[in-house]
Amino acid sequence: MGSRTEILAKIKTNKPNLIETPIIEPQVFDEGLNLIEEFTKKVEAVGGQVVPITYEMDIHTEIKTLFPDTALNFSTLEKAISFNTLSLDNIEKPQELEDLDVLVLESPLGVAENGAVWVNDTSFPIRVLPFITKHLVLVLGKNDIVPYMHQAYDTLNDFNFGVFISGPSKTADIEQSLVIGAHGALSLTILLKND
Amino acid sequence: MSHPKLASLFNQNEARVDWHDKALWFVRHKRDLATHQVKGWEALRDLGHHIKAHTLSNLDNYLIEFEKNALENGIQVHWAANGDEHNKIVHQILEENQAKKIVKSKSMLTEECHLNPFLEAKAIEVIDTDLGERIVQLAKEPPSHIVLPAIHKNRHEVDALFQEHLNTQPCDGDPQYLTHEARKHLREKFIKADAAITGVNFAIAETGGFVVCTNEGNADMGAHIAPVHIACMGIEKLIPKQEHLGVFLRLLARSATGQPITTYSSHFKRPAKGHKMHIVIVDNGRSEQLGRPDFRASLHCIRCGACMNTCPIYRRSGGHSYDATIPGPIGSILSPGKDLTKHSSLPFASTLCGSCSDVCPVKIDIHSQLYKWRQIITQNTKQPFIKKKSMVFMGKLFTKPTQFARIGKIARWSLRYLPKSIINARPNIWGKSRDLPNGPKQSFDEWYKERTKK
Repeated sequence: MGSRTEILAKIKTNKPNLIETPIIEPQVFDEGLNLIEEFTKKVEAVGGQVVPITYEMDIHTEIKTLFPDTALNFSTLEKAISFNTLSLDNIEKPQELEDLDVLVLESPLGVAENGAVWVNDTSFPIRVLPFITKHLVLVLGKNDIVPYMHQAYDTLNDFNFGVFISGPSKTADIEQSLVIGAHGALSLTILLKND
Repeated sequence: MSHPKLASLFNQNEARVDWHDKALWFVRHKRDLATHQVKGWEALRDLGHHIKAHTLSNLDNYLIEFEKNALENGIQVHWAANGDEHNKIVHQILEENQAKKIVKSKSMLTEECHLNPFLEAKAIEVIDTDLGERIVQLAKEPPSHIVLPAIHKNRHEVDALFQEHLNTQPCDGDPQYLTHEARKHLREKFIKADAAITGVNFAIAETGGFVVCTNEGNADMGAHIAPVHIACMGIEKLIPKQEHLGVFLRLLARSATGQPITTYSSHFKRPAKGHKMHIVIVDNGRSEQLGRPDFRASLHCIRCGACMNTCPIYRRSGGHSYDATIPGPIGSILSPGKDLTKHSSLPFASTLCGSCSDVCPVKIDIHSQLYKWRQIITQNTKQPFIKKKSMVFMGKLFTKPTQFARIGKIARWSLRYLPKSIINARPNIWGKSRDLPNGPKQSFDEWYKERTKK
């Protein structure tokens, strides 16, 4: 703990006079985006896919047609009993989720400018789930898309862990060639709900 | 070794220099495309700059606020004055948790503190999990770029490395196959890890949480599986409020790789049930840099690497030629503050063209700071004899217009009529691997006078 006092004292001596906090005015950036169009374009640009669904459709049946041959599926949505082939009750360590094929989560927020979708751990009980799964499906309401990150942060309040996800995991560390599927999910599908 | 010496080693392979130059320019171009799409990009950069300037002007209080909130969130907070103390703290946490196998995601701070060799000497396995970092770790090299650690390696070299260390099949450098093999190899490491170490992109005073950005998902795979998560941050990673993330996350990835945002922007606030979370706050020379008015803005840096991708010197000399944790223009204004003698050649590794300052997402006046370091270095470190003498000579010459005109005339004549063997003789380093232009008949002065007469 000794260094704490020393560091803080040094900063106090060396810092400049107080400079005011700038005010963020999000209207400066506003370009009147068509939110759904822009969001879809950006998700596709980062390697994900957007599938529109309507109220009458059964979400899990739709996902089954997208991923017909997967063994281990888990959804945190309602009416998932016939879809789920994995029970989290038996999971003692995050490692045991290694073979998970499809994970379905509900998201409260998407961002048009970058195709990012927010999920936080109130909707998934084990944090590694959206990363360790092979395929990630996020269900988002059409009206839950905001234009920019500025508006996104206005809505985020309490969470223990949360993440913006934009596309499947990727890397370009070998000679700048883009490869989809690094350590996280190999694919990302966003079901856009018409509500 | 000085930057010019190391750069000349890199330049022995001209084809590689061309390839390296193009690879980085490609990233710079992607950055341009991404930033030109953002309405109000300049206003966004201004915000980034001013939020950082404000934070630094109240940094002690924000650190106290951050610590208080982090503790309330159940995160344990540690303070390290220097790299050695940082390493000891990390080691102690690992020891307390009997952690022997560590996975680490990208953190330039732990590179700066030389954490890996410190832990390895204590029989702890540290695996870098970012693909680029794993590649350079296997090659026993430091990263040559802060965002693209293995940008200096071509696919065939990676192929050979993986065959040797991961028992992969020869694949003619197929990135898809090699990445997939790395995924398998590192998946095993994630599953078996006792603790995870990550860096911190942004720490938020008001919430006591922090954000880590990756494309590969390696920080999350490590931090959520292992029971212990240690996040290491420099004091300058702090921002006051969560709303400020809106500015920085818009700036960061666009400037770094031309992506609109990284794949994962993970917001850690409280440890998961049964897991432990530690934060190590590190100074290591930063508070000193804060006390240098001319250079304190270098602490605004969000580590996007845009200044490297655009720098004509970096692209043609390679990251290793800087022999510093952070290479490129930003590294050249950070490193002399740590060791003026060791890094005295770095501020001269620039044409002062200013492109670094133009692309910097938080508007650091990098090229002006490079110029200012040059003044300090020239006064404080020994300069080469020829450079010293020629500077004195030029200084005198510039004060005598008639003499200057006469010597100019001789120089122009010489360039026109003397043979190349004399023009490009050894003392003329400008004649190394390039031809000097043909001497013009008129000097600028003569041309200008004639023009104004008309």
